[in-house]
This record gives sequence, C-alpha cells and structure tokens, in this order.
Amino acid sequence: MKPIISVQDLSKTFKVYRNHKGYLGAFRNLVDRKFDLVHAVDGVSFEVQPGELVGYIGPNGAGKSTTIKMLTGLLVPTSGTMEVDGYLPWKQRKDCVRKIGAVFGQRTTLWWDLPLTDSFDLLKHIYDIPEDVFIANYNHFREILDLDPFLNTPVRSLSLGQRMRADLCAAFLHNPSLVFLDEPTIGLDVVAKQRIRDFIQFINQKKGATILLTTHDISDVQKLCERVLIIDHGKILFDGKLAALLADFGGRRFLNVEFAEYYPEVHLKDAEVVRVDGNQVVFSFERKTISASKLINRLSENYRISDLEVQNQPIEDTIRQIYEDQLLYNHPYDKRDPAP
Amino acid sequence: MRSVKLLLRLIRLQIRSQLQYPASFILEVISGVIIMGFYFVAFALTFSRFDNIGGWSLGEVAFVWGLAEFSFGTMDMIFSGFDYDAFGPMIRKGQFDQLLLRPVNITLQVFGSRFVLRRLGKMIEGLAIFIYSLTLIQVEWTAFKLLYLPVLVVSQVFFFGSLFVIGATTTFWTMERLEILNIFSYGGNEVMSYPMHIFPRPIRMLFTYVVPAILLSYYPAVYMLGKTDPLGAPAFVSFLAPVVAAAMFWLALRFWHFGIRNYQSSGS
Repeated sequence: MKPIISVQDLSKTFKVYRNHKGYLGAFRNLVDRKFDLVHAVDGVSFEVQPGELVGYIGPNGAGKSTTIKMLTGLLVPTSGTMEVDGYLPWKQRKDCVRKIGAVFGQRTTLWWDLPLTDSFDLLKHIYDIPEDVFIANYNHFREILDLDPFLNTPVRSLSLGQRMRADLCAAFLHNPSLVFLDEPTIGLDVVAKQRIRDFIQFINQKKGATILLTTHDISDVQKLCERVLIIDHGKILFDGKLAALLADFGGRRFLNVEFAEYYPEVHLKDAEVVRVDGNQVVFSFERKTISASKLINRLSENYRISDLEVQNQPIEDTIRQIYEDQLLYNHPYDKRDPAP
Repeated sequence: MRSVKLLLRLIRLQIRSQLQYPASFILEVISGVIIMGFYFVAFALTFSRFDNIGGWSLGEVAFVWGLAEFSFGTMDMIFSGFDYDAFGPMIRKGQFDQLLLRPVNITLQVFGSRFVLRRLGKMIEGLAIFIYSLTLIQVEWTAFKLLYLPVLVVSQVFFFGSLFVIGATTTFWTMERLEILNIFSYGGNEVMSYPMHIFPRPIRMLFTYVVPAILLSYYPAVYMLGKTDPLGAPAFVSFLAPVVAAAMFWLALRFWHFGIRNYQSSGS
C-alpha cells in the first residue's frame, strides 16, 4: 500500500538571533545581528501506512512539534522531501489540509466567542461537508464525547476537558484520512483522558483514520499505539513496536520485602538495594538476569521474611530513563546515520 | 463565490455575538461618536478665531475631515482583522496557524477573523461632520462630482486598508506592535483631515511621495470644492485617487503574501 505519510531526510533549521542588550543594543540589533543555528529536525525519515495509529514521542524540544508543523504545511522545511496523502503540504496547502485534521492540546481550533454549534456549522461550510455526512458524524460524535450539556456555550467559557472534546469532534467532522493529535490529553483528569482515548480508538478502528499522536503521557501511547517513533535532538532514535522497546529496556523490576526481624546488612546476589526503611527493604533486579522466584528463594534461605511484593518498573520511568541516560544512542535500534 | 459566502457567514456570526448585549453596544457606539467628535469640536472652536487658514474655511476643512473620518471608520470595520492590535496577538498566540490549517484562502480568513461593528461610531461621526460641512459651504454639485464622491470613499477605504495590511504583515517579522507604523496609518489619517499646505514643505513631500494621502484627500477636495490649488498641480491630479488606492492595495497584498511565505519558513 502507498504510505499516507512519507518523509525523507527532512530537516528544519532555525536561526536564533542573539540580541544585544539595552537601548543602544536595540539599535545595534538593526545592523549587527548574530545568530545561532538550531537544528530542530535533523534528517528525519519515516513512513506511515494508512490506518496506522502511531505514537510520536520524545523529550521537550526534541523536534516533535516542528515535524508536525511541517507535515501540516505550517512550516516550510529547510531540506528533505515529504508527501502527505499525495501532497506537498506547504506548497499545496489548501488541497492538503482539506484531507487532514489537527488537534493541538494547548490551543483551540474553534472560534473563541461563538457557541459550539456555530463553530461546528462554520466547519461544515469551510470543509464543504455534505449535509448527510455532517449530520451523521455530528450526532455520533456528540453522543460519544457527551457534548450536549455545553453545545450552546461559547468556547471561552468551556473547561479544558470540555474544550478538548469539542476540538476532537471538530477535527473529525469532515472524515479526514489523516489526523495529527498533539497532546490531546494534556492537563485532563483520569475520566476525561479515558473518554478521549476511547474516542481516538473508535475513530482509528471504525473510521479507518490514520492518526499520528504526539504526547508526553506514555500511558496514552501504551493504551493506543502499537508503533512508536522516538525523536531526540531532531533525530529519530527508534521506530518500532512499543512492546519491543519495553522488552529491551523495561526489564527492571522491584522486590519489596518486609523482614520478620531487623537485619543491619542484607546481601542478595544479582539484586541491588534501592531503599532501606527499618525492616522494609526494596531491591531492584533485571528480568533478564534473574527470575523473581529464584530471587525470593535465595532470600528466604538466609533471612526470615514476613511479606513481599514484586513490581515492574512503571513505563513512564523506563521512557524517562531512555531519554535521560540516552540509552538508545549507539544501540542497535538507533536509526541515526552512523557517525562518520 | 463559495469563499465570499463563507466570509459573509463569518461576519454575520460576529455581528450576532457583538449584538448579544444591545444596550451596551449602543452605548459604546454613542460614546465613540462623542469622544471622536470632540476632536473636531475643539478644532472648530480654535478655527473660529480665524476666518480661514491658508484660504480654507471651516466648512471646507470639515468637508475633507468628515470624508476621511467616514472612510477611516469604514476601513477600520472591514479591515478589523488586519488591525495590528489584533493581528499581533493572533500571531503571538499561534492562532494564525489555525487559519493555515483550513482549506480556505488565508486573506479571506483574516478578513473574517474580526469585524468590529462598533466602528460605526467613527462612521457616524465622520458622516455628521460631512453633513455639517454642507450646511456651511455651497458645493456646486454636478453629476460627475456625485459619481466621484463614492469612488473617492472607496479609494480612501482601500488606501487606509493597505496601510493596515502592511502594518499587519510587519508583525510576521517583529511579532509585536511597531509604533512606527502608527505614524503611517493613524498619523496619515490626521494629515488627511487637514488641508495639506498648512504643513511645511518637508512633511508635504513625505506624504506626497511616502504616503500619497494628499492625492486621496486634498486634491480631490480641491476639485469637489472648486478651489484653486496654490501649489499649481495639473487638474488630473484630483482624479488619481482610485489609481493610487488600487496600486497601493496591490502592493500591500504582494507584501502580505511575501510575509506569509516568510512566516512559514521562519515559523515562530
């Protein structure tokens, strides 16, 4: 199948001007400006097939939004090629955005002062949505997203969760074949998050829309996406199944032990003491090195145990570790070109 | 055609939301008329100490003033979206990106993004001054003069509008308000309200060449009111207004599109 997004060697370099300080500096800035080059996106290549739901993650400033902005035609790339649903986004803007949708969690796409119904009605005319398609989608989304209680409220008076639901509805009314979701669950409570995830899943599976999801909330990705792209310093570090990534890096487990008596020093082969709190000791160990049962056996041979519990390292911590310790750099997964 | 319908729809919805509180809207319009009209009253009182200034009577000045004020008010309403007080924040808050994400012409969307109906206040004020001027002076109306009057208003609207478009475009680079452009638009508005040659030569030169406002206000008025031009310009200069306005608007749109392209490749 022809990929719906195809990106090759895409780069975006920004000039960041260093300003002179003070009043005199303001005049110096006019004639003598120095700048630094920031490579926000640096030779990125990937493809997305129709119907995929891909998580696009990375630490702050990694180049996620810059990539999305290029894919939606808001930015012109410095170099590289891309094709979105057969179009070159920045050049064929109108044709391209007709087929795509976008939700930016940080800001609304709706009209601030207009009631929701008016906003939706405007979108119907903007995208030229046939009446029957509009009515079917509108009624359906209204129900799933539970929009009825605030349909006549202007956007400015909506809560964050309500606004996000409204924005999601708006992004899908014209049956887009590709949708960019940028932090759609930011700042929401557990219930609201779940409602939005359910909706995303529904759209992807029932409507067959391709979705590129950018998020900081790894649980979004874990619940929704099979495939993830990890970007850092403008380069793609990982492109593959989240499960594979977790199998390689998420093998850290914790053993919480409550001893029956106080031991001043506890030694356990293949495990590290993380924390000691009276009789309570937390060990960490690698799934690959030793199994939990073996470890517990080894422990109970030498010490009297009253209670214990085994925990896997939370995914958030695994991903954070991958970012912070740059675990993917020079790893076989590393998608970057080998250093010259 | 579809886009024009869409534009009208956007404007209609905004008018509706602005009229949600009719009493406060009417008060806003009235206070606008009073506050802006006060400038003219102060000017007229000062003027009454002299018979004329540079050969222009109060009625003739009011004729020019009222026309320019009416045009500016109309422009300020239609070109509200390009007002850099609104367009600057729009860029800074990233709302302009939302326009780029919609399959509709950008310029049209900016026109539709804001429509400040209370600018009616300035239009009413301008119209009142214009009508007042007609009670003071006898204009010898001909069919051509009556035809030229609306053409003149439209020319002024587009000329002022061009300045707004240019001002909005600069925010693509500066991302904030540029005080210097205030000199051009609001400053230009003041200059157009006065008979030109009250001003010393350097300013006159500046506004003839840099902001050709004189061609849209002073010389047309020389023709309308049957004045003799002490500067001795040829008669056709009085009819350059539509040409100058069209050229200016064309240039402004070129600059605007250049600005959008720059915005997309610099992306802030």
